[in-house]
Amino acid sequence: MSEKRISMVEKSNNKRQRVNQVPKFSINDHHDVLVEILRRLDGPSLCSAACVCRLWSAVARNDSIWEELCFRQVSPRPSLSLRSVVSALGGYRCLYFLCIRPVLARLPKLLWTRDQLQFSLSLYCVHYYERLYVGAWLGDAPPSSLMFLRKPVNVV
Amino acid sequence: MKRGYGETWDPPPKPLPASRSGEGPSMADKKKADDDNNNSNMDDELLAVLGYKVRSSEMAEVAQKLEQLEMVLSNDDVGSTVLNDSVHYNPSDLSNWVESMLSELNNPASSDLDTTRSCVDRSEYDLRAIPGLSAFPKEEEVFDEEASSKRIRLGSWCESSDESTRSVVLVDSQETGVRLVHALVACAEAIHQENLNLADALVKRVGTLAGSQAGAMGKVATYFAQALARRIYRDYTAETDVCAAVNPSFEEVLEMHFYESCPYLKFAHFTANQAILEAVTTARRVHVIDLGLNQGMQWPALMQALALRPGGPPSFRLTGIGPPQTENSDSLQQLGWKLAQFAQNMGVEFEFKGLAAESLSDLEPEMFETRPESETLVVNSVFELHRLLARSGSIEKLLNTVKAIKPNIVTVVEQEANHNGIVFLDRFNEALHYYSSLFDSLEDSYSLPSQDRVMSEVYLGRQILNVVAAEGSDRVERHETAAQWRIRMKSAGFDPIHLGSSAFKQASMLLSLYATGDGYRVEENDGCLMIGWQTRPLITTSAWKLA
Repeated sequence: MSEKRISMVEKSNNKRQRVNQVPKFSINDHHDVLVEILRRLDGPSLCSAACVCRLWSAVARNDSIWEELCFRQVSPRPSLSLRSVVSALGGYRCLYFLCIRPVLARLPKLLWTRDQLQFSLSLYCVHYYERLYVGAWLGDAPPSSLMFLRKPVNVV
Repeated sequence: MKRGYGETWDPPPKPLPASRSGEGPSMADKKKADDDNNNSNMDDELLAVLGYKVRSSEMAEVAQKLEQLEMVLSNDDVGSTVLNDSVHYNPSDLSNWVESMLSELNNPASSDLDTTRSCVDRSEYDLRAIPGLSAFPKEEEVFDEEASSKRIRLGSWCESSDESTRSVVLVDSQETGVRLVHALVACAEAIHQENLNLADALVKRVGTLAGSQAGAMGKVATYFAQALARRIYRDYTAETDVCAAVNPSFEEVLEMHFYESCPYLKFAHFTANQAILEAVTTARRVHVIDLGLNQGMQWPALMQALALRPGGPPSFRLTGIGPPQTENSDSLQQLGWKLAQFAQNMGVEFEFKGLAAESLSDLEPEMFETRPESETLVVNSVFELHRLLARSGSIEKLLNTVKAIKPNIVTVVEQEANHNGIVFLDRFNEALHYYSSLFDSLEDSYSLPSQDRVMSEVYLGRQILNVVAAEGSDRVERHETAAQWRIRMKSAGFDPIHLGSSAFKQASMLLSLYATGDGYRVEENDGCLMIGWQTRPLITTSAWKLA
């Protein structure tokens, strides 16, 4: 009986060692999985995630994450040609921060359809064009067509 | 403190009899009646008409003292405090009044009024509530405890229970605003009746009043006072042209600031673009003629929308019309280059042509080099058509040219106001209401960088100057209402296209994002979209096609 006990103890010891030997799974080694997870987050959570560490911040700059965030609610899903247009204008992350997030903050119950999407993109275009082509001409003052979006609403 | 036009003070006259209803006391307060010692007919007649009593013999002396007073008051630090704290002893008796002012300045009054200075009444004036010219603001209650003197306080104070021991007559800003408007209208009426002396006196009063009025009303009044003064002195030397010659892009800089600071131009561009998009849904080649290119802010958004069109983008050709170029700069071509780079980023095939024209009526159909067999033509005009009304025949010529090139859609954005009436007084009243609304909307946007707001106000101020002071072919800001444009376009052979709900939705979204979203309104009027402030429509977008 004591032998059985010894062997059982030995087996459990082995098991523990085997368990100890299985390599830990670290999400930081699997960026693609991290991206997939981050894509499913909402805006504030995503921003918090981007503040976790330098690695996560770099991963969070992956534009496909922000693309998902921008157009999650849009139906029907916009065409793929949108991607090239938005990348040319500065990417989805900037689009989100400049145009979509302020709009959602002001109009939380907004139903995102093609019109709203078109509108955000128009604003984004204006900003891009101003920044690149008009800003220098106006002098030191940076273009501020979207300034009305940045300031908080004064609720009197 | 902004003094506005006219550095001279303006003492309040006695209330005039009701027959002269146009001009009247702007700071009406009860005066001591028992101080009258000038009952002879030695009073100067002209001044008596205004309610001042000056003996003709004393005129020179009084004039000298007035000069002294003006010099002192023109020193801003002293002037502002004195103006606000001044004690008026029977102001209608000019010589005594000036004496008292001068002695007061040597011993400035105590500033027990400072405690109430912080309480600024920013109540919104409501122009609609202004009664007609014949009605006068009611005289305020006078807390008359001391018989000897009354103290009048100018500027925007809120009504306070007496915090000073002296009796106080308070004028709150809404009263001052109403008085300001009355004075402005009175001045315009005087000009209309060719009574330039009276107009001159009134315009100076307006200047003083405007300086003490805070907020949008004060600014509007200041601009109008300046314009009126220019009209009185026939000083409209087309300053705008001088400026333009020196720096042709000055106007464009101002317009750029106006674009950034308020939604009117963005509204115009977005709604016009939406109308264009809906008209060219199946076109493979699109040619847009912009009658006033400026900085081309409208076209990036359109190009982006075309790029995302299901079925791929069409090829986009833009013909931009601008003012004649100076030798050193070719801003039209540079603009074309910028737009071409943008189009390349979007993946849209782009072609640009710049046309420099002194006036739109100089354009001929051949200049556009249209290709009717292959392309869909769009003509776009933002705030350009009304300028042609200055010369007879110009607008008809332009519309004929536009008809000749056979566009699929013509988008027109114009101000919604009638500033082209024949009678100066009507024009003035209309302009006063219109620009007051505009300035009001600028004022409420607290979030603006101040430079944007100031430049936008200058931009509007130049329009005011043109509407009020200029005449003949100089007066180019000849705005007309949508109804008037409708008649014009229909008689020229165009039919209206109704702007769709997409345009309306985009416009509503744009406005709801502005911090003062409550103030702006979008409304649809017989197929046109109008953006307005509170209840007043300001800008109209409309679309037309050949009949």
